[in-house]
Formats: sequence, structure tokens, C-alpha cells
Amino acid sequence: MTVNSIIEIKNVYKFFGDLAALSDVSLDIKAGEKVVIIGPSGSGKSTLLRSINRLEEISRGSIVVDGQDVHDKSSNINNIRQELGMVFQSFNLFPHKTVLENLTMAPIKLKGIDKEEAKAIAVDLLKKVGINEKANVYPSKLSGGQQQRVAIARALAMNPKIMLFDEPTSALDPEMIGEVLDVMKNLAVEGMTMVVVTHEMGFAREVADRIVFMDDGRIIACEPPETFFTCTDHPRLKQFLSQIL
Amino acid sequence: MKDKPVKIEITDGAGIPAKNDAGLISAWWISFIGAISIITYLVVTKPDPYKDILMFVPDGILVTFQVTIFSIIGASIIGLFTGLGRISKNRFFNLIASTYVEVVRGIPLLVQLFYIYYALGRVLLVPDMLSAIIAMSVCYGAYMGEVFRAGIDSIDNGQTEAARSLGFDKNQTMFLVILPQAWRTILPPVGNEFIALLKDSSLVSILAVADILRRGREFAAESFQYFETYTMIALLYLLITLILSKGVSHMEDRLNHYDR
Ligand SMILES: Nc1ncnc2c1ncn2[C@@H]1O[C@H](COP(=O)(O)OP(=O)(O)OP(=O)(O)O)[C@@H](O)[C@H]1O
Ligand SMILES: [Mg+2]
Repeated sequence: MTVNSIIEIKNVYKFFGDLAALSDVSLDIKAGEKVVIIGPSGSGKSTLLRSINRLEEISRGSIVVDGQDVHDKSSNINNIRQELGMVFQSFNLFPHKTVLENLTMAPIKLKGIDKEEAKAIAVDLLKKVGINEKANVYPSKLSGGQQQRVAIARALAMNPKIMLFDEPTSALDPEMIGEVLDVMKNLAVEGMTMVVVTHEMGFAREVADRIVFMDDGRIIACEPPETFFTCTDHPRLKQFLSQIL
Repeated sequence: MKDKPVKIEITDGAGIPAKNDAGLISAWWISFIGAISIITYLVVTKPDPYKDILMFVPDGILVTFQVTIFSIIGASIIGLFTGLGRISKNRFFNLIASTYVEVVRGIPLLVQLFYIYYALGRVLLVPDMLSAIIAMSVCYGAYMGEVFRAGIDSIDNGQTEAARSLGFDKNQTMFLVILPQAWRTILPPVGNEFIALLKDSSLVSILAVADILRRGREFAAESFQYFETYTMIALLYLLITLILSKGVSHMEDRLNHYDR
């Protein structure tokens, strides 16, 4: 265990009935690190990511985020989650709120930030993701790429220490993938700790400090991109890479 | 995020006009014009007793609406909690809510009314009108519970996950994110329940509540003109129900077309 790990995943198991979605998964992530998780469908990538903010309860093991045991019943999960921004494949913006309200709602209600200040922060964030002119429209009026950028901004509005992304570009038309990845790359440059499940190998190669390959609920390989793509130690990984590259 | 227009159909409901029923020659218009014409014809050609009946009943219309409106409010509150209980992972709340729904659905409305009414009115000395409203609320709360449950179920789980991952707790998620979206699905069936409740509220006339039907019975008992009185009563109920069902179908339309 490294002292400055902001996420410590230790011997985690997750069972759905008999199915082991996660088997003895351990992973330490340092503050500021960018970790990309790849692997075939059903290998447990989402389950692992969702365990980090307890959207999924784990069966065994422990996950510590910023010194707090996420799955300990005595820890305040709602507070821990404020440190963990999450971006979903299907955006999940609140359709009954304007773009601006999507961003200000949580900071106002959860952090007690006053309305005007929350608005100012939201406007800045919208500028950052390049859609400040859409602040007062409803999400249904936005393209997929715009919605996903708003979703990222919404998560950032809580000023989290860590951002989790679960296939943020998989639901997007190809021409919109770039704009979302650009926002994520900027975030990476600013030093955000990021855990990203994605099939975008270009992004992984460019941004990741480490790439984790999962198969059948296990972490098979965890390497920096330089060695990852040429890694031949693992037959499953070799086969996976030959399919996607 | 999915904007699927879910339609909840729980109740025997009222005759909500179907979409293709919108023209001038539709069942609704025929009934509506028919009811008005017959009432007018009867009152003009035979003011005795029809005009007298019409003058005698309005107090009852007010009472019927009072019972209906307060009962639907009561039923909605009970329904909200029942719906929340039905989807709750907490075994205890879930069991209470489910049992309540099961019991209420298993006993005829009239029997429940009598039972609650006498329990409250005779044993606890609650005023007549209030016991009638409470009785109706309890009966309809079970159906409203199903409406709320279905409405909440219709909201994509991703909404809950997004809210929870921002740090909202369960209650905040329900009241800030889920229910404000679910009302679009909930409102039309609540409208239907309102109409069904209005019709069923005629049952309270058997208790000592002076609604439309009760007023009619009083009139008939004095004048012995049973047939004439109940003709008028039936027409009045029909008219009220028709107007309300038109209102509900308008509301349904507006919610469906409501494009944000
Ligand atoms: N709620 C659930 N109930 C039962 N089984 C589940 C549940 N969620 C996931 N699983 C199973 O757990 C395994 C891992 O699923 P997970 O969603 O983590 O995979 P993934 O790597 O994210 O796949 P994909 O690339 O398709 O998103 C799969 O076999 C899946 O069917
Ligand atoms: Mg997944």
C-alpha cells in the first residue's frame, strides 16, 4: 500500500448470484493518476468502476477512497460520493432541469453554496466544456456530445477529487466522440485523478498513465501504455489487442 | 433520459375519449349534447317536478365535489407513501404497503366505507363528512399507490444513479429528481381516479352525507317522484363526469406534447 494512493482497491470480489463479476481485484491509484480500464464485454469493468462509489455493493475486500472505507456501513457514503464525480454512458442528465440547473442543483443542495455563486461556477464550467451558450435550455434540446459534456461539467461542479467515466463516448455518434474526449484530455492535463472505462485506444495511449486490462472479473494486466500495447505475456490480452487495434 | 410516454392503466376508470374520438360526431359529444338537451327539455316542458329537482340538488353537487376533492388529496398522500413502500427495499415498509393494497383490493368499496365510517364515526366520534372522506381516501389510496409506483418505476434507473453519484441521499433523489419527472406519468391516471372517485362518492349518500344522490333521495322521499328524481340525478352525474373526462384528456394531450 502506497501512502499517497487516493484509491486503494484490495482483494475485491463481487458476486451476482454464482457469477463472479469481480475476482480478487486489487488496484492502487495515486492522486493525479489517469487509469484506463479496458476489456471485453462482461469482464467486470463497469462493476469495478461502480464499486468505487458504491453504486454496486461488493461481496468481499475493501475499497478506500481518500482515506475513507467506501463499503464500510459506518462511513457516510453521500459525503464520499461528493469527492467522486461520475460520468455515464447514457449521460443521465436531469431532463426536468435546465443545463444550468443540472450543474447548480447538487452544489446548492449538498454544499450549501449560495445560488449566485453556484451559477457563476456553473457558467465557468460550461465555458470550459464549450457550451455556455446553452445554459438555459433543457437537455433534450442538446446533441449527445453536448449532453455528455454537460454531464461532465455537472460532475465537476461538485469539485470532486476523482472522476470516474464509464464508456463516456460509447453512446455517441462518431462525429461527437472527439469533442467529449477533448474535454476529458483537458481535464487530464489539469491534473484530475481519472478512472476511465473506454474502448478509445487512442485516448488510452495518449492520456493514460496506466492501462488496466480486465477479463472474466480479473485484472490480467496493468501497464503503462508504452509497454501495454506491445505486451505479449498474456495470451488473452494479445488476442484482445489484435481484435481492436 | 428515455422519453417513453408510459401510460398507467389501473382503474376501471372513466370514459376518457380516445384519440380517434375527437370529431364532432363522437360518443363524448353525443352523450354531452344529449345530456344537456334532455335536461333542458325536461326542465322547460315539465318544470314540475324537474325544475324543482334541479333547484333542490345543487347543495349536493357541492358536497360531492368536497368529498371527491378532499378524498383525492387524501388518497394521493396515502398513495405516495404506499407507492414508496411498494418499491422500498426495506422489507418492513414493503410488507406494510403491500398488505394494505391487498386488503383494500380484497374488500368491496361499500363494505369498507361502512366499516371505516362506523369505526370512525360511532366509535371515535369523528364527524360524518370527515369519516366519509377518510374512508374514501383509504380505499382509493391503495389504487393511487399503484399509480405512484408505476409512475416512479417509469423513470430510468440512470436518473437515480446520477443523483446518488452526485451525493444526493435516497430521499433527496426521490423528491428532487424522480418525482418531479414522474408526475407527468402520474397525473393522467390521477385524473382518471378523480373521476372514478367522483362516481363512487355517490356511495357516501348511504352514510349521513348530503351529496347529490342523498339530496335526490331526500327529494324523492318527500315527493314520491322516484323515477323523475333519479332520471335527473343520473343526467347530472353524467354531465359532470363528461366534463371532467374532457378535462383529463386535454391534460393528457398537453402532457404528451409538452416538449421541453
Ligand atoms: N445487476 C446485475 N445482476 C446480475 N449480473 C450482473 C449485474 N450487473 C452486471 N452483471 C454481470 O456481471 C458481469 C460483469 O458486468 P459488467 O457490466 O461489469 O461488465 P463490463 O466489462 O462493464 O461489460 P460491458 O463492456 O458490456 O459494459 C457480466 O457478466 C454481467 O452480466
Ligand atoms: Mg460496462
